[in-house]
Amino acid sequence: MNGTPLIRFADVSKVYHLESGDVTALNHISLDISEGEFVALMGPSGSGKSTMMNQLGILDVPSTGEIHIAGKNVASMTNLERTHMRRDVIGYVFQKFYLIPLLSAYENVEYPLILKYKKRDTTGRAAAVLKSVGFDEAMSAHRPNQLSGGQQQRVAIARALVNDPKILLCDEPTGNLDRKTGFQIMDILVGLHKEGKTVILVTHDPKIAEYAHRTIQLEDGRVVES
Amino acid sequence: MRDIFFDLSVRSVRLNFLRSLLASIGIVIGVVAISSMGMLGTNMQLMVKDQLTTGINTIAITPDVVRAEPGTSVSSNTGITDIQLREIRDAAGINEVIPIDRTNTQFSIGSNDGRGSIYGLDPADIKNIMNVSEGSTIRGESDAIVGATIANRFNLLIGTRIKIGEPNISVTRPVVRVVGILSSVGLSSTNGINSDNAIIVSDTWYSNQFGGENVYDQVNVNLKDVSTLSAVEDAIDKKVNRNKQVVRISDSSSRITSVSSTLSSLTTFILAIGSISLLVAATSIFNVMMMSVSERVQEIGILLSIGTEKGEIRRMFLYEAFILGIIGAIIGGIMSIIIGYSVVSAMIGNTAYFFLPESIVYIPAGMFIGMIVCIVSGLYPAWRASNLDPIDALRNE
Repeated sequence: MNGTPLIRFADVSKVYHLESGDVTALNHISLDISEGEFVALMGPSGSGKSTMMNQLGILDVPSTGEIHIAGKNVASMTNLERTHMRRDVIGYVFQKFYLIPLLSAYENVEYPLILKYKKRDTTGRAAAVLKSVGFDEAMSAHRPNQLSGGQQQRVAIARALVNDPKILLCDEPTGNLDRKTGFQIMDILVGLHKEGKTVILVTHDPKIAEYAHRTIQLEDGRVVES
Repeated sequence: MRDIFFDLSVRSVRLNFLRSLLASIGIVIGVVAISSMGMLGTNMQLMVKDQLTTGINTIAITPDVVRAEPGTSVSSNTGITDIQLREIRDAAGINEVIPIDRTNTQFSIGSNDGRGSIYGLDPADIKNIMNVSEGSTIRGESDAIVGATIANRFNLLIGTRIKIGEPNISVTRPVVRVVGILSSVGLSSTNGINSDNAIIVSDTWYSNQFGGENVYDQVNVNLKDVSTLSAVEDAIDKKVNRNKQVVRISDSSSRITSVSSTLSSLTTFILAIGSISLLVAATSIFNVMMMSVSERVQEIGILLSIGTEKGEIRRMFLYEAFILGIIGAIIGGIMSIIIGYSVVSAMIGNTAYFFLPESIVYIPAGMFIGMIVCIVSGLYPAWRASNLDPIDALRNE
């Protein structure tokens, strides 16, 4: 990236205006994340992790300051441009998997491809990605509610990967899984990082955070350790 | 290839099958109401118009109301004379001219007395302008044919004898024998002969009994081509009324226009009543769509957060409304044929016009309106779904 970081936060604040008063969720945060990093985002509840993830996921814009992702200023993009960036540049893995309940495992993975190319996948990419995360092909016609947590998270990772995003945002990806399955999921993420993905991981679990090469510690909306 | 958003909509409808079906039933009822009401009105209109137009090719010429000049007396001869008849024949050209004698008198069948019109017609004309449903036309001097209403009321059979004229002790009343019964004409008696309630005798018998030979109460001109109506009327008017107004020339075209316009307002009115049910249907579709949106808030949040465009979310919900609409419209269309046919046959008693384009068009029209109503009802819910904030939506459990 010619020295330019993949993600740059420049004096970013996010203030929520609530009836009980203003809440500063992010307080003058400046940091860079380069392409290929494996970053763990840690901090107690209410420290601003979720707000940070929403900013990274381009689901929200900062109150002040600038966020540049893949060279683009998030605040100056149109709604549609942000939508396309979420689709093409970012892969989102959630704690609660958030698969689309009406679609089968395979269709959940195929879905982002359809969003991007406006047609059904005929290249076999969806199936290939599902296989690469160790999902049992025989279950690809199953709906999410017929799958175990570990299987659902594999599908969710495959869905996040299918459009070959630069950034993989994982919000407590092991939080709803037993320990053993959690480590299996982490092994997949480590593998993806080795393939060159920039992985940003939110976790409470220091054991999980150990997988990362860099830890950003948040407290009261500030970076206390980076 | 199938649109994934269409698939999602189909699956959502299937998932909430009962709810969707109930919402569609509203549309079914709306479509059936609009289609059947429209068809009912149109069938009524078509039937009445057809009945009226059977007489539209007839011009009726009657003596003008005589207005006496001050100081002169009114002539008792108020009929159309032979000379005038000849003039009418000249003016009418190739068209058939039928002189008619008419009077209103009492008659008796056995011990039952009745009153009605007696028409005197040339037997040769009778078979041209009247439709004998039973028996034969007039052949002999004292043969008579009777209208459907009279025949029905007095239980007349072929061969029944009717005494004609006011009862008078000193005179024996003349008798005619029923040889034929006319088919009912109802409203189509636009040629000035209300034959349902008439006894028709030959012109010679008539003038023997009632006098008035060579004078007629009415002359009908039956047009070969209805488009020559005003030309023929003008010709007769110029010839017969050249010095002063002696005959009145009339036809039923103005009556058809006024009856048709009345019936058309009636059709609009019953259509408006039918539309109320679609309004109710719109409310239920709106309600179901809003429920579908609020139940799927989190799903919408997921879709938005992984890069689904707002327009695609809107499309998904509009498809859902469309699916509800098309299910309702198809079931409604099929039921409209059944219910519409039953309603028309029960209320009009005649389904001959049911499958004519003017009538059957209400089925696709009703289906189309039903579908439009559905999609319009889905607009706001779809808009609302697409404008959800993805962060809030994801948090929604």
